[in-house]
Amino acid sequence: MAARRGATVELREVTKRYGETVAVDRLSFTAPAGRICVLIGPSGCGKTTSLRMVNRLIEPTSGEILIDGHNVLQEDPTELRRRIGYAIQQVGLFPHRTIGQNVATVPELLGWPAARIRARVDELLSLIGFEPARMRDRYPAQLSGGERQRVGVARAMAAEPPVMLMDEPFAAVDPIVRERLQNEFLQLQRAQGITVIFVTHDIDEAIKLGDRIAIMRAGRLVQYAPPAELLAHPADDFVARFVGSDRGLKRLALLTVGGAELDPPVDPSRLGGAPVLSPAMTLRDALSQMLASEAQVGMVRDGDNYLGVLTLSHIGRLLRSEQPT
Amino acid sequence: MTAGEPLIRWDWLASHAGEIGQRVGQHLELTVIAVAVGLIISFGLSLLALRIPRLYGPITWTTGILYTIPSLALFALLVPYTGLSLLTAEIGLVSYTLLILIRNIVAGVRGVPEEVREAARGMGYTDRQILWRVELPLALAVIFAGIRVATITTIGLVTVTALIGEGGMGYFITLGIQLFFSTALIVGALGSVLLAMLADASLVLVQRALTPWTHAR
Repeated sequence: MAARRGATVELREVTKRYGETVAVDRLSFTAPAGRICVLIGPSGCGKTTSLRMVNRLIEPTSGEILIDGHNVLQEDPTELRRRIGYAIQQVGLFPHRTIGQNVATVPELLGWPAARIRARVDELLSLIGFEPARMRDRYPAQLSGGERQRVGVARAMAAEPPVMLMDEPFAAVDPIVRERLQNEFLQLQRAQGITVIFVTHDIDEAIKLGDRIAIMRAGRLVQYAPPAELLAHPADDFVARFVGSDRGLKRLALLTVGGAELDPPVDPSRLGGAPVLSPAMTLRDALSQMLASEAQVGMVRDGDNYLGVLTLSHIGRLLRSEQPT
Repeated sequence: MTAGEPLIRWDWLASHAGEIGQRVGQHLELTVIAVAVGLIISFGLSLLALRIPRLYGPITWTTGILYTIPSLALFALLVPYTGLSLLTAEIGLVSYTLLILIRNIVAGVRGVPEEVREAARGMGYTDRQILWRVELPLALAVIFAGIRVATITTIGLVTVTALIGEGGMGYFITLGIQLFFSTALIVGALGSVLLAMLADASLVLVQRALTPWTHAR
């Protein structure tokens, strides 16, 4: 249930030149309302520059950027930024302000009444798994890296922005914490229905979080597609190399056992050491279990309900069908 | 010092307690005025140097020259124009605080982490709000380090202004030298040192109260 709808963000032929250098070259794409749109590419491809043009930290040389149809280039930059959430890799919490004051930054700038600010701060602190009474009055230096990243995201969401810009917000923490932060963020984003433009250089993060992925190279958009589509049909060799030679396995991670074609149920006694799989499991996990049990097949069960048999050739067919033609 | 005279004549101390107190007051007054006026001027020049970076060189160069002029020479140069006055004393004292204060204010503001500034701008702070709400509060520790050095330096220099009729504790030092009277000399020198130590300790306390985030654990 989305509490609010995010806004649609549309870039039209956006170009940024620095003298002779073209940092971003006629970039056009639309981030649909309430979705996460990931910008990804090698360093220097223009993804961060593109992101920072949306809230006008960088002024485009030409082109238009529309939020719900309104051209941001005609708005006051300061006012615009207060309506757009902004979270960056180094977080940039204010060291001299408490966690509560940090989260309250934009609501204060917008002149919310004190009671509403306090309620919103406590709500957000709870949402990121903090006990408000215990954490509100601490300073950033008293928090771990992962906790600071969480506060950074909460601060960006504080004023209920319809759009959020995030520049590698989880890159500076260890993989275990990153995974947890990504899951928490997905939940928050779905619940609040915010449109997110998200920059990363990590293809796994892009596939996990993105509803759409924009792959950029040398300032240009190479492909813009949902993750499954990108893995199944990379537009060219560059994209194929970028998503990795294991893109088949990555694609399996997006599909569930329940969505795959199954053989009809067979007497379990004839299946030997076949593992039991649940419909909610990803095909990648299913494959991993089958390989670990040295079995050609897996039994798919939903509780007591025996649904059928998944075989290696089903998975192989899926992998073959996705190869570019 | 005449032979047989003790290093400190305690009876002199007792009979001059009132005058000593008065000179301590004068010493503090000269110091506070010098540091306060110095801070105001330095603040303005620092903001200018931060806004127009190419002015930073000329500003530190000029205040650096002021800083290197021997204090005795500076007062001698000023007397024909401003006389034996508080003004003469303060012009000298203030000019010695500028270099230290400007350097620390500018360094403090420039030392604010770039990502903090970036986040502030990205969330919709205006340039003025970034200066007053982010940069200056975060520069406070470095600025205070400058204020402490400027204060200690000024307290020492105030003694020199005794030569133009001011001086605070410096009065007792000149008195002691003129009369070969060790008690006055010791009162003046030791008094000035003690004032400096006390002032520094108080400033540390003020700084801790103003920057709670630097020692939260």
